[in-house]
Amino acid sequence: MSTSDEDSRGALRSILPPEAVDRFLDTCNDHGWLLLGLGTVAAVSLPVLGLEAGYFMTVITEMFLFAILALSWDIVGGQTGYPSFGNMAFFGIGAYTTAILTKDFAFAFPVAFVLAGVAAVAIAAVIGAVVLRLRGHYFAIATLGVLLAAQQVSRILDITGGASGKILLQTPSGETFYFLFLAVLVVEMGVVYYLSSTRFGFVLNAIRDDEEKATAMGFNTTYYKTAAWMLAALFTGFAGGAYSLFNTFIDPQTAYNGAWNVELIAMALLGGSGTVAGPVIGAFGLHTIIEIVESYAVGWQLVLLGGAVIVTVIGFPNGVVGTLREYASEMDYYKHGGMAATNDDAEVSSDE
Amino acid sequence: MAATQFVVNGLLVGALFAAVAVGFALIWGVVDIINLAHGEMVMLGGYTSYWVLSLVTGNAEGSPVLFLATIPVAIAVLFVVGYALQRTLVSRVIGTDIFLTLLVTFGASIAIQQLAIQAWSANPRSIQVRFADPSMTLGGIVVPKMKLIAFVGAIVLTALLYVFLQKTRTGRAIRAVSQNPEAAALVGIDVEHTRAVTFGVSSAIAGGVGSFIAVILNIQPQMGLIYTLKSFVIVVFGGVGSIPGALIGGLLLGSIEELVAGFISSQWTLAVTFSLLIVLLVVKPKGLFGQGVEQ
Repeated sequence: MSTSDEDSRGALRSILPPEAVDRFLDTCNDHGWLLLGLGTVAAVSLPVLGLEAGYFMTVITEMFLFAILALSWDIVGGQTGYPSFGNMAFFGIGAYTTAILTKDFAFAFPVAFVLAGVAAVAIAAVIGAVVLRLRGHYFAIATLGVLLAAQQVSRILDITGGASGKILLQTPSGETFYFLFLAVLVVEMGVVYYLSSTRFGFVLNAIRDDEEKATAMGFNTTYYKTAAWMLAALFTGFAGGAYSLFNTFIDPQTAYNGAWNVELIAMALLGGSGTVAGPVIGAFGLHTIIEIVESYAVGWQLVLLGGAVIVTVIGFPNGVVGTLREYASEMDYYKHGGMAATNDDAEVSSDE
Repeated sequence: MAATQFVVNGLLVGALFAAVAVGFALIWGVVDIINLAHGEMVMLGGYTSYWVLSLVTGNAEGSPVLFLATIPVAIAVLFVVGYALQRTLVSRVIGTDIFLTLLVTFGASIAIQQLAIQAWSANPRSIQVRFADPSMTLGGIVVPKMKLIAFVGAIVLTALLYVFLQKTRTGRAIRAVSQNPEAAALVGIDVEHTRAVTFGVSSAIAGGVGSFIAVILNIQPQMGLIYTLKSFVIVVFGGVGSIPGALIGGLLLGSIEELVAGFISSQWTLAVTFSLLIVLLVVKPKGLFGQGVEQ
């Protein structure tokens, strides 16, 4: 087993040398803004070049949506080390905010959209102050409890339309949503990429790696955690706010969808959590697979999702980007003969 | 008087919650895993009883004795499911990040639940048990006979687990692994097997309770997560690995839910349960435990 493994690795090395991967990753890292700009231009040019509103535009719009959600989850789950099972609570709050404001109070959509983000952040501040004191099992279960409590409340209240939900007929065109979700995604990627090289981003990673040490170094970790949590809620709330009108229908089950919450965690992990590109790549990849399965075998996509989560976690916990990075640093590792050369924190901590 | 009636109802249902939570607490204590697929074991147990009864009688109806005879089947099936779940999936992530173990069991929970929807549709089902006189009155309090049987059944299952853990060789091995896996391995205990047995036993009890739930409430493929979360609330009340604690926690939760349903509205029971969960976690994250569990 190990010999054939060695052989295949050797073959892989000659085709795809780790140094090349390393150089590629470095280039991506150095020219993040350029890549983000190129991606944006490519995405904007699709409708200009003739992608019409319809099935494919909807699918791509959904990919942007999931990329926003996965990246938001990753701000807290991957960068800060607080894996939440309740991110979709902010999605639901955003979704219901626009649904209620546009339908019952005749607000214009842009105003309602902004207020959806504000509402999500405000509620996140309150919830975050409570749940971010917990760690590990307790944090995960508490956030799941928040999600289910929110779902249950929206099922009871009258203004949310109860269990039967709200139908929204006056909605902007499909193209509007394409650009709206794209814009939110680009802004979010920009923010996360910018933060990754600031003091704020480093403190978040320090909290993930060892919160007690970060506290001992004099950082007010509660402040940083809550800020990251609110930032994630802002983008999740925007996504939800646009989603309810995009979907023309909202009910407790879709707004506070526990399965989606797992889906976006799977996306972040599959792509590589703790990175900027990882969750986005994961979202595009997994959503494509799920979409294909959905069109050939309706109803099986969630079975697949459960399977995908299990396979990812057991076989591939570092994701695409993490695995590439590990592979790239492999040569360095031997050349310098130790862990001094590894820039991958996961490896360092496992060797400690 | 109304309050007494609600509390009695709550105690009757609470014993079922407690028996589910006992297994959940056992897995948590021994394997150090929050099994988010635990509720699915309740669901599968209910369906096993339902289908066995349908197979025997043609529809899901029967006398109490016939129904009780299906419970050992549910217990046996779920023991195998639990054992296999640990051996095939969970054992691969033990010792890694807590978050990954949660995610694997959550993934298993979604997969099982969705497969159940594909196989049996999402419609709620229930088992009808025929009684000549379905309820009796004790001192002005109405007690449905089936709920009483379910109550006794849940208590018996919990007591059997207690005896199993205290008196048998396997039970002692389970407790040894829970205290110190390395030392247990040193004295010749097969740790992997013992953990899988723990999963099997916990799932088996959940399955047995599922059969009772199929009679007194109803079953549907997506019911599991609620039972998992209720178990979590109960364990936080009662303490990890403490069977009497879980029993008290379960009875308490059942009573609270029935009081809320009776005096406010049954719509609010779940919202209250989840809020209680969050409040408990914040106010007493470790305080009610026998010993604090790190992180």
